[in-house]
Amino acid sequence: MFKKKRPLQSKSEIVLRNIVVIFLVAYMSVFLLIPIIMAFAGSFHLWNPLNGTYEWIGLDNYIRMFQYPTFWTSMVNTIVFCVVVVFFRVLLGLALAYAITSRMTKHKTFFRTIFYMPTVTPLVAVAFVWKIMYNPQFGLIDQIFGLDINWLYDSVFALPSVMVMTIWKDFGYAVILFMSGLLSIPSEYYEASSIDGANAWQTFRYITLPMLKPTMIFVVITSVISYLQAYVPVMVMTEGGPGTSTFLSSYLVYDQAFVKYNFGYASAIAFFILLLTAVLTVLSFKVTGEKA
Amino acid sequence: MRKSILAAGMAAALLLSLTGCGGEETVSHKGITDTNPDKGLAVMGEHVTYDPNHLVNGGEPVVLDWWLWDAPDLFGSIAEEYEKIHPNVTINIINNPWDGYWTKLPLALQKKEKGPTLFNVHNSYQHLVLTYMAPYEIDLEDLKADFFTAQSHEIDGNIYYTDFGVMTGAIYYNQDMWEAAGLTQEDIPETWDEFREVAKKLTIWEDGKLVQAGFNYNGDFQNLLLGVPYQFGDTLFKEDGKTACFTTDGMLETARMLVDFYEVDQVGDEDFGADAAQSFGQGQSAMVYKWGHHYGYMQTNYPDIRYGTFEIPTSDGTPFAYDRYNGEATPGINKNASPAQQEAAQDFIRFYLANTGIQKELCMYYSLFPANNSLRDDEELKENPAIRAVSEHIEEYIWPGAMPSTVESNLGIAAQDILYNKKDIEKTLKTAADIVNVDLANTDFTSAESLYYKYESKGE
Repeated sequence: MFKKKRPLQSKSEIVLRNIVVIFLVAYMSVFLLIPIIMAFAGSFHLWNPLNGTYEWIGLDNYIRMFQYPTFWTSMVNTIVFCVVVVFFRVLLGLALAYAITSRMTKHKTFFRTIFYMPTVTPLVAVAFVWKIMYNPQFGLIDQIFGLDINWLYDSVFALPSVMVMTIWKDFGYAVILFMSGLLSIPSEYYEASSIDGANAWQTFRYITLPMLKPTMIFVVITSVISYLQAYVPVMVMTEGGPGTSTFLSSYLVYDQAFVKYNFGYASAIAFFILLLTAVLTVLSFKVTGEKA
Repeated sequence: MRKSILAAGMAAALLLSLTGCGGEETVSHKGITDTNPDKGLAVMGEHVTYDPNHLVNGGEPVVLDWWLWDAPDLFGSIAEEYEKIHPNVTINIINNPWDGYWTKLPLALQKKEKGPTLFNVHNSYQHLVLTYMAPYEIDLEDLKADFFTAQSHEIDGNIYYTDFGVMTGAIYYNQDMWEAAGLTQEDIPETWDEFREVAKKLTIWEDGKLVQAGFNYNGDFQNLLLGVPYQFGDTLFKEDGKTACFTTDGMLETARMLVDFYEVDQVGDEDFGADAAQSFGQGQSAMVYKWGHHYGYMQTNYPDIRYGTFEIPTSDGTPFAYDRYNGEATPGINKNASPAQQEAAQDFIRFYLANTGIQKELCMYYSLFPANNSLRDDEELKENPAIRAVSEHIEEYIWPGAMPSTVESNLGIAAQDILYNKKDIEKTLKTAADIVNVDLANTDFTSAESLYYKYESKGE
C-alpha cells in the first residue's frame, strides 16, 4: 500500500536535510507562527505597537467588529469578489487551456506566453494602468466603447471594475495549471471514448472534467485563499471608495492597522478572515468529495 | 560536510539579501573637536534667542541622526549652517519615504539611544511619537511671544514641537479663463453667493457635455467639510473636545451648498475627473479649492498655467472663522538619546527657532504662512500667491488639534457617499461621526478648537 521509503544515503545528506528543515522551521516560526500568535493575543487588546499601547479589553474588538457597518459591507464585497473572480478565473482558464492543448491549435508556446504575461506583470503596475484606462475623461475604455461612465467612482461599477482587472491579471495562472492537468490525462482514455462513439461534449464531460478534478480543486482553493487576502487592487484603484463600495475585508484590515493604527481591532478582523478561509477550504473539499 | 557548509552559506546569503532592502538615503559627515567658544557671531532671535558663542558638548565630537521624509537638501543646508558654527557636531540627514515613515520612526525610537536624535514631525501622527519625545528646553512664554501658534502645542506646560509655518485653503483661479469670461479683479468674490455667480460665468457646457468646470472640488469635498462649517460658528468637536459632531447646521449647510454647486448650478460635475488639482493644471477647471502645497504642485507640473488666488469666500463676510489650518512642525528630540546628543539637539532646536532666515526659507519652500511673528510682514513671502491669499485674516483660522486619521478618513468616506453614492447628507454625516467617536474613545485626543480666540462666541 505504501511505497517503501528510501533511506538517506550518506551522513552529508542527513546534515543537509537537517539544515533545510531547521531553516524552514525557523523561518515559519519567525515569519508566520510567532506573528500569528502575537496577532491573536493582540486581538484581545487595545494595541498599538508603535506607541507601546497594549491594554487588555477582552472581546471588545470582536464585539466592535460585528457592530461596525463597514465590516459587513466589506464581508459582502469580499464574498461577491471571491465568487465572481474565482468563477471567471476557472472558466477562462479552463476554456483557454482546453483551446491551447487542442490538436488544432498551432503556436501553443506563443499563446501560453501571451496568456501568462499578465500574471507575471507586477500587480501595482497593472492596477495603475487599469485605473488610467477607467478614467472617464481620457480613459481608453470609455473612448473605445463610446461610453460616459465614471467606472471607479460609481458604486454600481466600481467593484465590478476591480474584478475585471483582477480576472484579466490572474486567469493566466489558471491556464497554465489547467494545461498541465490536461496534458497529464492519459491519451488512452480519449482513444477509448472515441471508440465508444462519444462526441466532443461527452468526452469533455465524462473524461476531461473528472480527470481535472484535483487541478480544479487546487485552483479554486488557492484562488479563494488569495482573494480573501486581496487588498492591493483596491488600495491602488479606489481606496475602498466611493464611500465604502469597494472595501474588501483585507483592505479593512490594512486600513485599521496601518492608517488608523488600531492593530488589536485589525487583528480581530484578520482572525475572522482566517477562520472563514479555513471553513471555506474544508467546505470546498466536502463539496468536491475530497478528504481535507 | 561541504554540502552542509554550502547550504548554511546559501541560507545566510539569503537572509543577508533580505536585510539589505532598506530605502533610506544617508548623508554623513565626520566630526572634529571644537576648542573655540567665541564664534564672533551675533545673537539671533527676538524672544527665543540663540547665542552661537559657546561650545556644544564641551567641544567634543557628537553625531546626531536627523530623520525626515522630504526635502533632504533643504534640511541638509540647515544642518550645514549649524555645523559651520559648531564643527564638532555632525548631523546626518536620513531621508525616508513618507510611506512607511510613521511605522519605521516609532520602531526606531523604541531602540532608545540607537534611534534618531532628531526627527521631523507631522502633528497628525503626534500620538505615535509623543511618548518618545523630550520637551524643548526653551521658555514657554518666549516661544508663545515669537510663534503665534505655539500655545496650541502646549502639553502639560511643555512644548515638544511647534509650527514653523501654517497652511490652509484658498481658491485658485485660472486667469486666462477669468479674462475670457469677462471677469476682472473687481469680481473676486467675497461671499458664497458671489462665488456661485462667478462660477456660473466660468462654466462651459457644449452639447450637454461639461468642457470647463467653473468650480471643481472633486477630491476636496472632505477638506471643505472640515473647514467651511467654522464660518457658520460651528466646530468639529463638542465642548468636551473629544466628541465629533458632524451634524451641526454649519456642516449640513456646507454639504448642501457643495452638492448644489454641481446639481443645481451645474458649475462642475463629480464625474469631471477625480482630481481637481490635475483638472486645474490641465486647464479644464477654472477654480479649485486647494491648500498651500498646490503652489508647489503647479510650479512642478504645470508651470505654464496662469493663475491667481483669493481667500475662501464666506457666507456673510464676517465669519466666526474662515477655515481650519494645519501647521508644519519643527523637529522632535529623542528623549532616550545620549546626554551629549540631547544637549546638542536642544542647542540645534534653539538655533532653528531663533533663526528667521531658516524659517523663511522653509515657508517659501512649502508655501506656508510663517508662524514666527517677525516674518509676518515679509514682502518676499507675500509674493507667493498661496501665502498672500490668507495673510490678511490668518488669525481667524482655527487649528482643530492633532486629529487622529480616523477623522479625515471617515469624513472622506462620508463625502464620497454623499457626492457619488447620493446618500442622505444628514444620515451619512451622523454615521461618520458615530464611527469616529468609537475610534476617538480609544485615544487621548482633545481638540484645540477651544484655544481659538473667538471660541466663546461660537454658535452665535
